[in-house]
Amino acid sequence: MARMKSPVRVVHYVNQFFGGVGGEDKADVGVSVTPGAVGPGRVLETALGAGARIEATIVCGDNFANDRAEEFARAVATELDRLKPDVVVAGPAFGSGRYGLACAQVCRIAQDRGLAAVTAMHPENPGASAARRGITILPTGTSTTSMPAALAALAPLAQRLGRRETLGPAEVEGYLPQGRRRVYDRGRPGFQRALDMLLDKLHGRPYRSEVPYSAPERVPPAAPIADLTRARIAMVTTGGLVRKGNPDKQVSANAVRYHRHSVAELESLSPKEWEAYHAGYFNHLVNSNPNYILPLSFLRDLERQGAIGAVHEHIYALPGVSTPVAVSAGHGRSIAADLKQGGVDGALLVAT
Amino acid sequence: MRLEMGTFPVHDVTFGASTRYDAGRLTIDRDAVLAAVRQDPRIATAELEIAHPGESVRIWPVRDVIEPRVKVEGRGVCYPGICDREITTVGTGRTHRLAGLGVVEVSSVNWHDAGGDFVETYLDMSGPYGEMYPYARLFNVCLVVEPDAGLGEEVKNYAVHKAALTVADRLAEAVRGLTPPETEVFELGPVDPSLPKVVYIWCVHSPQAMSGSPTAFCTATYGLTQLTPPWYLHPNEILDGALTGPYRTAYAMSWTVANNPLFLDLYRRHGRDWNFLGVISLRTEWTTQTEKQLMANQTAKLAKQLGADGAVVTWDAGGNEFIEVVRSIQACERLGIKTVFLTSEDDATEGAPTMLEPLPEADAIVSTSFFKNVTLAVPEAPAVARVIGVPTKKILRGSAIGLHAGADASLPTAGPLPPPWRYDDHYGFGSLSCTE
Repeated sequence: MARMKSPVRVVHYVNQFFGGVGGEDKADVGVSVTPGAVGPGRVLETALGAGARIEATIVCGDNFANDRAEEFARAVATELDRLKPDVVVAGPAFGSGRYGLACAQVCRIAQDRGLAAVTAMHPENPGASAARRGITILPTGTSTTSMPAALAALAPLAQRLGRRETLGPAEVEGYLPQGRRRVYDRGRPGFQRALDMLLDKLHGRPYRSEVPYSAPERVPPAAPIADLTRARIAMVTTGGLVRKGNPDKQVSANAVRYHRHSVAELESLSPKEWEAYHAGYFNHLVNSNPNYILPLSFLRDLERQGAIGAVHEHIYALPGVSTPVAVSAGHGRSIAADLKQGGVDGALLVAT
Repeated sequence: MRLEMGTFPVHDVTFGASTRYDAGRLTIDRDAVLAAVRQDPRIATAELEIAHPGESVRIWPVRDVIEPRVKVEGRGVCYPGICDREITTVGTGRTHRLAGLGVVEVSSVNWHDAGGDFVETYLDMSGPYGEMYPYARLFNVCLVVEPDAGLGEEVKNYAVHKAALTVADRLAEAVRGLTPPETEVFELGPVDPSLPKVVYIWCVHSPQAMSGSPTAFCTATYGLTQLTPPWYLHPNEILDGALTGPYRTAYAMSWTVANNPLFLDLYRRHGRDWNFLGVISLRTEWTTQTEKQLMANQTAKLAKQLGADGAVVTWDAGGNEFIEVVRSIQACERLGIKTVFLTSEDDATEGAPTMLEPLPEADAIVSTSFFKNVTLAVPEAPAVARVIGVPTKKILRGSAIGLHAGADASLPTAGPLPPPWRYDDHYGFGSLSCTE
């Protein structure tokens, strides 16, 4: 005989507006808990059906959740520890940025405590772009007009997550891709899939890209150097500069580390002492004059003329070829920290 | 332009007293073929061996696999322009081909001496690694060839490739005068004007930037390998070998170009699903952003001027060449040309995008999975009973990138070997993809 499943216990998170506290004027209110379902939670409970029930609703103002993030996190964590739900549902937040960020934060707090969690918002909501990689987010429209569809999609996913089911791929289940790509045999050759997709696209029929668009991270630039004549300038190259003969055994692609060399005693890079080892460009050019990828001789001129304060004693080199972005970012952070510690004001990054 | 393609399927290959084809059995006069190869004074050593489908054989180092084709009626020669062959525009008349057979160019000659590019492909005729590629299903006639060691790298490249073409020519000659068991007519005939018009934007690597030479050996268009603005090619020209391999991956061989299933299916569905306008071939690895954008703009312009409503895009390279490819897609979309992109993916470490430059216009992508064998978790290729070619292979244990990291060991080729670092199914032969 099949064992009766106990209903999935859900905790719902909503902001001050959907929690019935008030509008923008109440956005500063702190975390509170109401037993049972509130506002859209009632519709969600209907959609969940008999297999699940909303135990409690956590409500918080959007300003509070974002401006006092640590206090918010502590309060939510305390409530979740007390309520011990099977799954946390946050939102839907639609296009509302601060609400979206709060929903993503609630999901993260829940997951950190080993709880299942799901939210829903517009794909361009800052909450989605900031957190997509770790949490399950269902896409919605920008406004509450998409509420019924959003709740109808959330309910079955919440049920399954609450029962500790492993979800299928994003493109099948409909949640936003999390950047965790894995090999998948589609059982039909790539050329046929490409021509199927071409025909669908030509005829205006729906098609689904196998590589969904994932916006690259944007890095805000540092403030300009106020006075170059007093600035310490360093040089970093991804041109694969090595000492002649490559005694440090630098690789020519897919760098697992970078190399730091002292140029304190050098006026210029000589082809007798330096060369390139890089799998992505014509190395002979640099082998004839290594200053092409590390312009030490030119910086020394500027140093003598007083145009710059000083040339930093260490240079950093690695081959910028075929290195996974995450590994590159790690090299970058490490080099930047080293430069900062060395009192460097500006760095010349020479690519190829 | 009308081309009749006569296909002679090969079901067995043996050495014998004369080179002839009879009902699927190809017999090769080994001495005569090798004598023709050795006529070139640049060739120092040459041997011929046969590898059968399913056999426990490893072939190393593999530079190219060529399908023998011969022009029987009409102008020009197959594989025009390469190694000083004539450059008459091909694509008309009748061509005969030996199907299910590859002439494998086995040589230790490297692509060029400017660093970074190494011949790394080996082929297995059986086992899980071998079965990842179409070549394990072919009868492979392997020319193990080394040039005079005193020659320059570029001359060595052309010498050994010419030798492999000589073998292919000799084999194809066997079916010149025969009636083909199968004939297919290829023609871009008039079609229902309401059908959507499509082009194939076929991007191929140029070795010019890496080697520093405009005549370095590589994937060729009528023998040219240098960086050129986009070409318009009639698909029949490609069937006659106007576009050939090899590049450094196993899927960028001349055989793979000639048997590109995306290209052939696109062509065969002309008049049924679409009006196939032809091929725009874009050379990649331009150096500056301006050049890359210019090529993208001009590729899209050419497609638009041809009247394209849609385009399908492939490429055979990696790294910065992605920029001119994806910008071409963006430029096409901005001109209203609906574009589909077939590509492999880079590593997805820590959720990083697998496209070097993700662009929202590239909204219809078919993935042929990760391009690195290590990311695909391809296991070591098992030991084999016989090796064709060089008995040892340099490897770097645990390397994700093959010989780029330098070699720390020399292993017997016959033993278990790590797979070459790239998989990279450029034309969608297989069904592997990625999901998340």
